[in-house]
Amino acid sequence: MVIQQNLTISEKLKILTDAAKYDVACTSSGTDRRGKAGALGNAVEAGICHSFAADGRCISLLKILFTNQCIYDCKYCVNRCSNDMVRTAFTPEEVCRITIEFYRRNYIEGLFLSSGVLYSADYTMEQIYQAVYMLRTSYHFNGYIHIKAIPGASEELIERVGFLADRMSVNLELPTAEGLKRLAPGKTREKILKPMRQIQQGICHQAFLQGQEQKLLYGKSREGFAGGAALFQPGNRGRGFGPKAEDSLVKQGASEYKFLCPEKLRKGRKFVPAGQSTQMIVGATLENDYQMIKVTEALYHSYGLKRVFFSAFIPVNNDSALPALPGGPPLLREHRLYQADWLLRFYGFRADELLTEEHPNFNVFLDPKCDWAIRHLEKFPVEINRADYSMLLRVPGIGVKSARRIIAARRSCPLDFLALKKLGVVLKRACYFIMCSGKMQEGIRLNQDFITSSLIGEEQRRSWDISHRNAYRQLSLFDDMNLEVMPSRADIHAAAGGDF
Amino acid sequence: MTSYICKDSFEGILCGIYDAWMGKRGHSQVRLEVEGAFEWSLFTEYLSADVSSEKARKVMDAVRQKICEDAFEKIYIASLSNDLDRADKIYRFLIYGFHYGKKVMDMLAVPAVFDLFQICRNVSCEAHKWMEFIRFSETGEGILFSKIGSKNAVLPLLASHFADRLPGETWMIFDENRKQAVIFIPCKGWILCEIDSVMEETIRGWQTDKKGYEELWKIFYKEIAIKERTNPVCQRNHLPLRYREYMTEFH
Repeated sequence: MVIQQNLTISEKLKILTDAAKYDVACTSSGTDRRGKAGALGNAVEAGICHSFAADGRCISLLKILFTNQCIYDCKYCVNRCSNDMVRTAFTPEEVCRITIEFYRRNYIEGLFLSSGVLYSADYTMEQIYQAVYMLRTSYHFNGYIHIKAIPGASEELIERVGFLADRMSVNLELPTAEGLKRLAPGKTREKILKPMRQIQQGICHQAFLQGQEQKLLYGKSREGFAGGAALFQPGNRGRGFGPKAEDSLVKQGASEYKFLCPEKLRKGRKFVPAGQSTQMIVGATLENDYQMIKVTEALYHSYGLKRVFFSAFIPVNNDSALPALPGGPPLLREHRLYQADWLLRFYGFRADELLTEEHPNFNVFLDPKCDWAIRHLEKFPVEINRADYSMLLRVPGIGVKSARRIIAARRSCPLDFLALKKLGVVLKRACYFIMCSGKMQEGIRLNQDFITSSLIGEEQRRSWDISHRNAYRQLSLFDDMNLEVMPSRADIHAAAGGDF
Repeated sequence: MTSYICKDSFEGILCGIYDAWMGKRGHSQVRLEVEGAFEWSLFTEYLSADVSSEKARKVMDAVRQKICEDAFEKIYIASLSNDLDRADKIYRFLIYGFHYGKKVMDMLAVPAVFDLFQICRNVSCEAHKWMEFIRFSETGEGILFSKIGSKNAVLPLLASHFADRLPGETWMIFDENRKQAVIFIPCKGWILCEIDSVMEETIRGWQTDKKGYEELWKIFYKEIAIKERTNPVCQRNHLPLRYREYMTEFH
């Protein structure tokens, strides 16, 4: 391993940005903090994206590695120790200066600091701690900070960092223990889950100390599902529905956990106020979508995570243990997983409703919500002027916002299709599943084959665009998407049943 | 038909609303137009609405008390829009607002309410985009300077955001389409001012040195993209081309 000490700051930035770019979690949401005199910066609850890179991903935080030196040899990782490449490291001073100067110019919303493991987990975490401590105290930085917890680092160090950062994350990387063993020989599942549990208990304990056990855990005025995501019934504020984080775990964390670091470091600060997140690689091992989404659900429930991110596997190394992906990264699969993740967090779906052991993968032709609706036509059509919030949310084409607007607007007058359009409902999807004052739209039949073939045309165009990003399509009068043989009735039937 | 011509400002529009309302000619018989942005038409009587802070205050208080704070915020944001019918749309909204009270905020199915919410959304979205995409560069005197070209008059919305965010810096945002600027001085707060051509000349002549960090930002911007995922359509959806001429990374 060649360690370069005397690189210029721009060379370092180039190397350490390049090494950090495969991390996907780059949101700046979850904390609302006003600016204060003498300090630089504030934080906005919803987060702010400051630019969009050529791959269309948002740039919100200065996403860099502290160092790209690493003692581990994870097969999927660009920084594994067996790769021959230039290795370097920032000093805490450099990280602070770049962050501050970028922030002043409104380039970024804050810092996302991750790192390869240099010498030992503790040494690396200590370096990261130095950098954030300096940033918060000497440079009076009041913006957003997201820090990766290094598995294996001491509990006290993780806690110290937690009091300075807004969000922390530990990457699960692969959904199953076997997958992890195969591709990341130096890591074990227990080692990864330990800091995750610690952070969760710390957050619960913090809430407990402040006497806001429930409020803080589920976010302001929107108690709900999955570790604080927004899911509440309008007009029934405070009482969410859908499964909640397991009470016993929360209580245990709240009362039994004890903070290790001294009082004066904790004073006036909150422990990981924006919650924690994690990420999983999609398509590096053989896990199916059902396993992925089950693990995701479990993480939301028992670890109270704010977000689970998915990253389509990009082969950066040649290794016999890794899959060859001739069609490029599995972007469509990643897209479907995110759609399902939203259904879990905001729409009150359970993983078992979306997929089963028998149908372990998402439908290529239909998004998970449409797919579910078509398999449950007995629940439709839904009467817009009477249905409750949780049922409205299950209609394809109606989202959280439009469902809330419907509930509010129908109090003053009955709604018709034109009104729904104004409320933001996507009628071209919703029209198959709803009625207004007892009437469905003209020409709609509540029939599996009819709905599937109508929906597929539109969705197919979009999924084609996702999986063939930079290809060009021959302009054609028919939406055949380069299919050589038209889909038969049996194919459409299979798509409806989720057999594709 | 009677048209009331109001001055192009929040106060001006409020005074227009006052005059039109108190003129008692019937809601269907009046229209509100903003000065300098309408077409003359036949068989219409044109009256200009004088600006007085007393009239504006009366309308403001009525909106806050009889409808709600939220509605007041909405009509303020709508007044910043570049929609030609903004004054009339606010007036039509207030007709429903004063009749239904607070409930009006949920009545999106009513065209007058929908129209107002739509222009509001348009202004708020643009303001949010500028909050994301404004790029400051540092002048020799340590002033952070930024140039934007906005469709709606978003400067007041940006000012409060950046005043909270950069309380210790002296900064200025110049809107080249409207020849207006927001200037912020620490401990003193921000002011909105008109920029004449002489001042504009000076501003454009400012040298922004410390190229160092701008170069670093470009390096970062280029490196962070993953080649295998290149997706210009997605990028364009989130970051429309018209913003790019003001952004450091696209220079």
